[in-house]
Amino acid sequence: MLPAALDDIKILDISQGISGSYCSKLLADFGAEVIKVEPLGGEQLRTMGPFFDDDPNPEKSLIHIVLNNNKKGITLNLETTSGARMFKKLVAQVDVVVENYHPGYLKSLGLSFEDLEKVNPKIVMTSITGFGQSGPYSDYKSEDIVAYAMGGVMAFSGTKDREPLKHGGFQSQYEAGLNAALSTGFALFGRDFDGESQHVDVSVQEVVNASLVMNQPLFPFSGAVQGRRNPKGTMYTQIMPCADGYFVSQTGARATWDDQVRFYGKPELAEERFANPVQRLDHGEEFDSILLNATKDRTMKEMFKTASEEFQMLFGISQTPEDLSSCPQLESRDFYQEIDHPVIGKIKIPFRLFNITESPFQHRNSAPLLGQHNEEIYTENLGYSKEDVIRLRELNII
Amino acid sequence: MSRLPLEGIRIVDTSAIFAFPYAAGVMADLGAEVIKVEGPSRVEPIRTGMLSGAYPENTPGDDPWNRTPTFHVVNRGKKSLVLDLRNPKGLKVLKELVLSADVFLENFTPRVTRNWGMDWPNLKEMKPDIIMMSNTGYGHGDGPYSDYPAVATSQEASHGLTHLTGYNGGVPSKVGQSYVDFVASWTCLFALSMALRHRKKTGKGMWVDIGMYQLGAFHISEYLMDWVANGKDRSNRIGNRHPWFAPQGCYPCLGDNDWAVLSVRDDHEWEALCNTMGRSDLVNDSKYIGHANRLKNHDELDQIIGEWTKKYDKWEVMEKLQDAGIPAGPVMDSRDMNTNKHYWDRGFMEKVESDDPTLGTRVLMGRPWKLSNTPISIKGPGPKLGEGNHRYIVGELGYSEEEYQELIDEAVTADKPADTRPIPTGNLDDMVAKGVYGYWDPEYRKKLGI
Repeated sequence: MLPAALDDIKILDISQGISGSYCSKLLADFGAEVIKVEPLGGEQLRTMGPFFDDDPNPEKSLIHIVLNNNKKGITLNLETTSGARMFKKLVAQVDVVVENYHPGYLKSLGLSFEDLEKVNPKIVMTSITGFGQSGPYSDYKSEDIVAYAMGGVMAFSGTKDREPLKHGGFQSQYEAGLNAALSTGFALFGRDFDGESQHVDVSVQEVVNASLVMNQPLFPFSGAVQGRRNPKGTMYTQIMPCADGYFVSQTGARATWDDQVRFYGKPELAEERFANPVQRLDHGEEFDSILLNATKDRTMKEMFKTASEEFQMLFGISQTPEDLSSCPQLESRDFYQEIDHPVIGKIKIPFRLFNITESPFQHRNSAPLLGQHNEEIYTENLGYSKEDVIRLRELNII
Repeated sequence: MSRLPLEGIRIVDTSAIFAFPYAAGVMADLGAEVIKVEGPSRVEPIRTGMLSGAYPENTPGDDPWNRTPTFHVVNRGKKSLVLDLRNPKGLKVLKELVLSADVFLENFTPRVTRNWGMDWPNLKEMKPDIIMMSNTGYGHGDGPYSDYPAVATSQEASHGLTHLTGYNGGVPSKVGQSYVDFVASWTCLFALSMALRHRKKTGKGMWVDIGMYQLGAFHISEYLMDWVANGKDRSNRIGNRHPWFAPQGCYPCLGDNDWAVLSVRDDHEWEALCNTMGRSDLVNDSKYIGHANRLKNHDELDQIIGEWTKKYDKWEVMEKLQDAGIPAGPVMDSRDMNTNKHYWDRGFMEKVESDDPTLGTRVLMGRPWKLSNTPISIKGPGPKLGEGNHRYIVGELGYSEEEYQELIDEAVTADKPADTRPIPTGNLDDMVAKGVYGYWDPEYRKKLGI
């Protein structure tokens, strides 16, 4: 193993779902030893589809396999007195705890940050919640769509004639996981200097809002508030159809407007009434119809290549998971990693987020089976005998 | 306690627009000295361009390039140094500055740093402990798209998110504002925290090579895996619905353009929703028992819920549903967020004061996380163009006053852009009529207490 940024760091991840698992996955990829601590029935990711072969077996959840990669796994019932006591003993041996329970839940089990700080004065505890640990909404329940509504993105997503629209997938959860990983990273780097504990408080609502660098400051500077776009005459720079799918094009980079006109092969686009973005909007419907006509017989792949290579345009095509699973660019970046999972066998998973010359992403082991490391952790780290481990299992503590 | 994580770290930021500049703005919050390098003819596009938003009081003023809102939120707390990097003398100053720094941020196309002799193989020879961070659309290397130009909006289609986003059964939709730029901002910050810790342990610098395309693809991992494992594409657009839970959606409320969302994730929440709407008759209606049935009859449920939400404003809907234990909330626009008590109580919104009386005090958003033992805050507004020229060129790098004057005379450095024209500012009422803005509120300063 090459030396890694976090190869001296141990982490307990008691989170469930995408955000916390993604956070500790990133830390594990940089060498931290991460122990996923699951409730006896397994964490939520194991119940999330899609499943390998569409078989809803908790070991076959594909997103669990991606986001709990490189971790060890134990089960522990934190809601029992013994379970909570055992957890505290583990906390005394680690550097970081990652959790995403509702504020106050861990406190009710005697496992709040203040409680854990007493057994480990250098602990970094990272909490990810819908609305943060404080403030009038802290007790509110959240979900991806709620974060998108109250984080401000939905207000200007979609069209004016319809309801506000959220992003597809679970973007707020991924964004929150990334923010949790970076704030934990800085807490650990800071701790190297001052040796102090930290409670890292990540709010998913604020994470969503934090991307609105055009939207947020507009109001305090001028009172203006962005809305949703008009459904007609605003297609350019949005998503447009072509022969076999959809594409998007932007002005800028090295392409001039003349380059764009040549790319679309419609000389009338060079006319004065389309000369700048404001004029293109003023004549939007006419503009859109010329573009639609210009692209209706062209394919996504041809346009992507021609626009990018010959005209240096900012151009994207609406790719599908199929396109991305066999994408030569992602392959050249070593994005996927082949793993050998004990239940589903060899499979490739999305793995490397970026390239780095030192401390590179290293695959060590696939996601743990439920309770796979119980015996190892409870005997080696907490000093129980094998018989104790069996008894703890019988008592539903592990 | 009061020591900030990046105290003593110097960052040279040559990047532009959102992704890395915003990361570097947060680095300034975290205590780093961030020097933003721009060229007289290559001024940061969000100082003046179409992305920068309306000027303070919608007035460009004498120095419009120092006055746009997006510039200030992205570049808060930085220093400004102007260098023409196409001129060998400007490039020499940049190299000297980078040799004095801990971190070098850039988002040029791969050939640029190569031509300068500042790509990683050369840079690490000059300074083995430097941390170089690069951001491009598709990442460096020999992949077929590596030299393609890209921005977040073209990328969000290519990295697969557009395909997933859109109204139920409708066409793909743009996902909002430059989404993947911010994924790159946060990835940059994460990678920096790892790089600094690695350097502290080993003494070695490193090169971090980020491609936004790759980041975006990771964030749809569940759909990628469905294809890889099962050969199925179930990423069809479902609008505001949830793939497994029901009901979930965005519903009209009492006022104009007044909306609230809710999500029901289990039978308890379903029962609570029925009772809150005064429709306990629905709880045991066989059409709505279990998520599978509710998903099947989602259109009908949307009708029922919409009729109930229309009786209240979005804040009342939030309170009634949250009090009943159901995840729900109003669709908050920018005015709502800037004036919302929760955001202010958490310290997410910060008042930032400028020396320039026409800028005065404005509200800028902070960071979406807090460290309990380290108070972090925005250190100031974005820098005036070139305000650090003398300080860095003469004060830090030891050029003489004569040499500095030569650099000014040869337009290698400047405190004004080569092109000083402001972007055209429309009348706000016209902009609203054209749909550029949803509305504008003349009372904004009063509402914010600024």
